[in-house]
Amino acid sequence: MGPLIDLLPLSYTDSVVALGALVLGIAAGVLGTFAVLARRSLVGDALAHSALPGVALAFLITGAKDPASLLVGAGIAGLIGAVAIVGIERTSRIRPDAAIGVVLSVFFSLGVVLLTYIAAQGNAQQAGLERYLFGQAAGLLERDVNVMAALAGVAVLAVVVGLRPLRTATFDREFAATAGLPLRQVELATSALLVVAIMIGLRAVGAILMVAMLIIPAVVARQFTDRLAPMLVLAGAVGAAVGVTGAQLAASAQVPTGPVIVLTGTAAVLVAVLLAPRRGVLWRAGARRAERRRQEAAALLIDLETMLHAGPPPTESELCLACARPVRPMRRALAGLDRSGLIERDGERLRLSAQGAAAAHAAIEARAMWSAWLEHGASLGITDAREPDPRDLRGSLGDEAFGRLQRLAAGGRV
Amino acid sequence: MTQGSAALELRRLTVSYGAQPVLWDVDAHFPAGTMSAIVGPNGSGKSTLLRAAMGLVRADAGQVTILGHPAREAMRRVAYVPQREAVDWDFPITVREVVEMGRYPDVGWFRRLRREDRDIVADALERVGMTSFAGRQIGRLSGGQRQRVFMARALAQQADVMVLDEPFAGVDARTEAALLDLLCQLRDREGRSVVIVHHDLQTVRSVFDWVLLLNVRAIACGPADEVMSDDNLRRAYAGAETGLAAVGADAGGVWVP
Repeated sequence: MGPLIDLLPLSYTDSVVALGALVLGIAAGVLGTFAVLARRSLVGDALAHSALPGVALAFLITGAKDPASLLVGAGIAGLIGAVAIVGIERTSRIRPDAAIGVVLSVFFSLGVVLLTYIAAQGNAQQAGLERYLFGQAAGLLERDVNVMAALAGVAVLAVVVGLRPLRTATFDREFAATAGLPLRQVELATSALLVVAIMIGLRAVGAILMVAMLIIPAVVARQFTDRLAPMLVLAGAVGAAVGVTGAQLAASAQVPTGPVIVLTGTAAVLVAVLLAPRRGVLWRAGARRAERRRQEAAALLIDLETMLHAGPPPTESELCLACARPVRPMRRALAGLDRSGLIERDGERLRLSAQGAAAAHAAIEARAMWSAWLEHGASLGITDAREPDPRDLRGSLGDEAFGRLQRLAAGGRV
Repeated sequence: MTQGSAALELRRLTVSYGAQPVLWDVDAHFPAGTMSAIVGPNGSGKSTLLRAAMGLVRADAGQVTILGHPAREAMRRVAYVPQREAVDWDFPITVREVVEMGRYPDVGWFRRLRREDRDIVADALERVGMTSFAGRQIGRLSGGQRQRVFMARALAQQADVMVLDEPFAGVDARTEAALLDLLCQLRDREGRSVVIVHHDLQTVRSVFDWVLLLNVRAIACGPADEVMSDDNLRRAYAGAETGLAAVGADAGGVWVP
């Protein structure tokens, strides 16, 4: 880490903290993704809490705050927690959520009791062990970061090498099992990777909030990509950004790192969940609204065209009555048509512009073709996976099939 | 292939959840090179039977053999298609990536796909008509398209025996017809064996060669036209009152269980 520390435009201690947060963010982002995709993110929570008594026991046994031995203690305790969860699920009739809750609370209670006992002993060495609760990135040393980086490197490499079995087992367990993948081993490996992520993050983020670092990057990354490999890269990047920002903010405000990282990450999640293209809440609401308006406008054009065909140009209220629709959305739709120059007003009376007449005919034609599809679609003999899109029947069916449908609709033979 | 051995054979298979037997002492076999259907009312243990045969559910007793070998040793010769609900369709994966999974057992879980594997995948996509959807995330597919993806993955496995669990539940008629046709081709041109959990008694009569009629125990197992008799159906569907009336009234007509 030495050369990297020199590169950063920060003081030595700040650089160490930033690098630590970076490493932890990448590891937690990449490894947490599998937990989130397997809907097992709360297992991460339980394992993080389980690691706490491991830290305390490692300290009691070695009598020193050597980061490597404390991490080993955390890792062993985490693995025991993982085995306990799976064991409870398999052997008893307790459901997964309850099993996770039991392991989390039992191990965490044990950890708190042990930490209290250690504190009461008055050993001068013990000062700072409570950091493992809420996390404190500020005190990280270069050798801590070296250990974290080595672990993260091994874990990320394992994911790269094992991407196919991991992906297959996470996506479709039953297929994986019948295709000869040893599911238990893969699941054990997944849990072990999660434990490694926790070992890396425990000191800086703390047992209580570590789960957030596993979940947040994956949730953000999923919003922006539909494929696993890019998602893993993105989750690593998001984790790094959230970790570094949070750690720096916490250091300057002199508060525990864990909560600040979580709050920073929550901001990222909010932005991603609301704004992401295609998956974002606002984006989807916007798309739905646009589609509803499009349909309203098309229906209104058709109604107006029908009335114009039958008699004199109607007023707004006549149109409203004739097509039996609520006034306000219709006014809104009319205003929209007005803006796009599809209707002309003759005093109170409404007419279609030339452009509007063309749009009305297109809408009528689209409607007729859709109903033709519903009636004759089966006889077109389309055997591939094409699905008709009512908004663009020609585009979704292809010119050839659409042409045949047109002939069918006109009453001809295919 | 061992000559004359069944694609799938179950001997005295018993499976229970708790004290309640879901399958009880089921003897059945499905000949190689045929299209076989497993038929029975809801809760008769159809899916459990397949899942037990595939080793996904632990059986209390009984043996399963595939092409004459113990099931465990012969799993590489089987392609299993789970029910669509078994997976998370929001998973970040594309159609082609799902189908590529079908090649992993042959290629090795840690190796890159070879050129011929990519050709096999492309061919499988083509056969189910999904070529133009290869790059799409699986969540943005209709139910029928999803079933086609699963079918393509099974094709890519190039297995001798295809085992499908309710592939046509909730699938549009066009897809069902296309996939049934594809399965018939596999049987006729490539001599592969197909075992399906199926619910539409009409197509069972017209398309399948062999039927296991199941209701916890095996009611009848044999050539479709022999097994699908009024009497057998009445015994299998006894208790499903509305169905019983329909069987009695018009066993040859459209029948809705």
